[in-house]
Amino acid sequence: MKKMVVNQIFALTWKDLKLFFKDPKAMALIFLQPFLFIVIMSYALAGVFGSGKPIRILAVNEDTGKEAGRVIEDLSRLSGIAVETAWEGSPITRKKAEELITKGRRTLAVIFPPDFSSVLEQSPAQKDRPSTKVLLMVDPATPASVTGPVLGAIQGMTERTAFTAQMPRGIDYLFDQYDMTQVGISRDAFKRKAQDSISRSSSSGEDKAVTVEKTTPKAMKMERFPDSFQQNVPGYTIYGVFWIASLLATSVLREKREGTFTRLVAAPIGRSVVLAGKLIPYYLINVLQIAIMMAASALLFKMVFGRSASGLVVTSLALAACATSLGILISALASTEAQASSLTVLLLLMLSALGGCFVPRFLMPPALKTIGLITPHAWALDAYQDLIVRGYGLTDVMPKVGVLAGFALIFFVVGVRRFRFE
Amino acid sequence: MQVVRTMGIIKISMEPPVIDVKNLVKRYGDKTVVAGITFSVAEGEIFGLLGPNGAGKSTTISILSTLLGFDEGEAKVGGLNLKREKTGIKKIIGFVPQDLAIYPALSARDNLSFIGRIYGLSGAVLAGRVNEVLELTELTDRADEPAGNFSGGMKRRLNIGAGLIHKPRILFLDEPTVGVDPQSRNFIFEHIERLNEEGMAIVYTTHYMEEAERLCGRVAIMDGGRILAIDTVQGLIGLAKDGIIFLGIPSESTETAVKPFQPMDVRSTMAPDGRLKLETHRVDESLLKVIAVCKEQNIAILSLELLKPNLETVFLHLTGRRLRD
Repeated sequence: MKKMVVNQIFALTWKDLKLFFKDPKAMALIFLQPFLFIVIMSYALAGVFGSGKPIRILAVNEDTGKEAGRVIEDLSRLSGIAVETAWEGSPITRKKAEELITKGRRTLAVIFPPDFSSVLEQSPAQKDRPSTKVLLMVDPATPASVTGPVLGAIQGMTERTAFTAQMPRGIDYLFDQYDMTQVGISRDAFKRKAQDSISRSSSSGEDKAVTVEKTTPKAMKMERFPDSFQQNVPGYTIYGVFWIASLLATSVLREKREGTFTRLVAAPIGRSVVLAGKLIPYYLINVLQIAIMMAASALLFKMVFGRSASGLVVTSLALAACATSLGILISALASTEAQASSLTVLLLLMLSALGGCFVPRFLMPPALKTIGLITPHAWALDAYQDLIVRGYGLTDVMPKVGVLAGFALIFFVVGVRRFRFE
Repeated sequence: MQVVRTMGIIKISMEPPVIDVKNLVKRYGDKTVVAGITFSVAEGEIFGLLGPNGAGKSTTISILSTLLGFDEGEAKVGGLNLKREKTGIKKIIGFVPQDLAIYPALSARDNLSFIGRIYGLSGAVLAGRVNEVLELTELTDRADEPAGNFSGGMKRRLNIGAGLIHKPRILFLDEPTVGVDPQSRNFIFEHIERLNEEGMAIVYTTHYMEEAERLCGRVAIMDGGRILAIDTVQGLIGLAKDGIIFLGIPSESTETAVKPFQPMDVRSTMAPDGRLKLETHRVDESLLKVIAVCKEQNIAILSLELLKPNLETVFLHLTGRRLRD
């Protein structure tokens, strides 16, 4: 009896193993999916967890003296930061830095003003002593988790340099207070004067000789820096929007399995009408989904969506077209609902990761950053960030909307051509 | 000219056939699933396609319903060319697939309304037609309940109703009674007969010979993608002439098993399952003789089965296999 049960279990196990190994799609999903996901996510998150390449900062040195050069050298020695002082063989100018950030080639630049050294060389005792500003120019889409530490590092380095530069002036000031030939200087009075001198050298608050200020390129019509919602909501919205593809694909395959699709194909309506009838309701659901996510973010988090409502609408419509067309493509590629679900999970997680929905693309290695451009997610995210955090308008995002429409068209055309009506 | 037997009455029809199929071929890669079949269906006829699973019945009906293309041959449905006038054909046919092609989350009324709209009905015409079909399928009382709550038989009725919503001239029914209890099966038969009385031509696929015998005026017996025989039910039964006695006896070879029965007026061969197959046109009379021979020759009878002449024996006669093998 026991032997029979063992044999039955063996037979059942053998049968399912045989079925599994005869199904290449199932094998790819089980073995290839986790591997690809590990590779992509590990590379994508490398910048966040410190095992990847350092954050690149453009350094613009307009200083006529030597102090800015010292700060730049100190910054270069910091691990996790790579300072670039030249671009294509020429020193980086303020204009070039602005251009590179506006075009999305770089995200951060530190700009030392022409009077940086001369301000530091002023005596702390001087009345109405001049002050100056070091600018940290950022792409507003850069998360605070990246700009914060960079800003802190630049502030620290600048203050250290300022202190080092001004300390001799403080000592001068101390000794200027006394006639050193005079006998009987009170120890306490000397101590107070020394403390005052040092404090003038390391002046703080409004008295600071050098301050570091965050700014954005002039081409970006920023009114204020984005909050965490403005930075995170677009990415997660795009990630959520594409799940409609799973719903659409499984719905088509369920209709095929249950036979209702056959009834539709037997009816006197065109095949393109059948597909359009499948696509349109999900497109509308998708648009509603985006509207609800944005409305909820505005109401609950007081999130501001930039200045271009038309830009948001057009981008959202193109994004929804992309997501629903991808659903048609998946329904054409998969044979069963289970296959469609697994394929969607694999595809959407990879596209979202590569497209920068989870981790900003500028933190990724250059190859992965380039690969990200083959995802609609990257273009949609960039368009939303243009509108929400960079202050751009409809005409500025139209090229990206055009790319999204192109993705939608490709997904739809390939999906329709591969679709099996029979 | 067409010979039509409807509800037991034989008519001579001068109308052109409503379905005319000539040398139809369908292949999937190297495999030929419909191998050059030819037949026609007259206006108002119930025409059966009978055969085991894999015979090519559903493929044939799917081709004629415009769901599948075909590789060779020609066909006309309702006088329209199957290759070039698919949309026109779709308008005049109703298709009831083997699967329950209804939306379980929608009510019976919503299911029918949806299909009606797909066929271009709207407004009062649609509402009226939905009510008619609900009445016809006796689902009026539960019209607004989700179809998912229905019994198997009710779902089947709704499935058929969905194929009738646009009053088709020709109805294709692909094994509509699969998985249905006997009571619902009778109910479905009555509906089909009523529709036929109203003049609807019906093409009915089944692997149940009882269904073909009860409903169909003419039957095409299919196997391996070919039509083996096509005639009225009585005509087909006449082909086999004989009933069959299957006799399980201990024997070492065909020769020794057949020998004792050779003097009898029967055709004796060995069936593929190892039993002795005795074909005779008088089953009852021959059975007594067989038992007598066995007793006389001291042959032990291990099993005994009688098949009177019917479509099952015709299929056995034509293929050497049973319909449900």
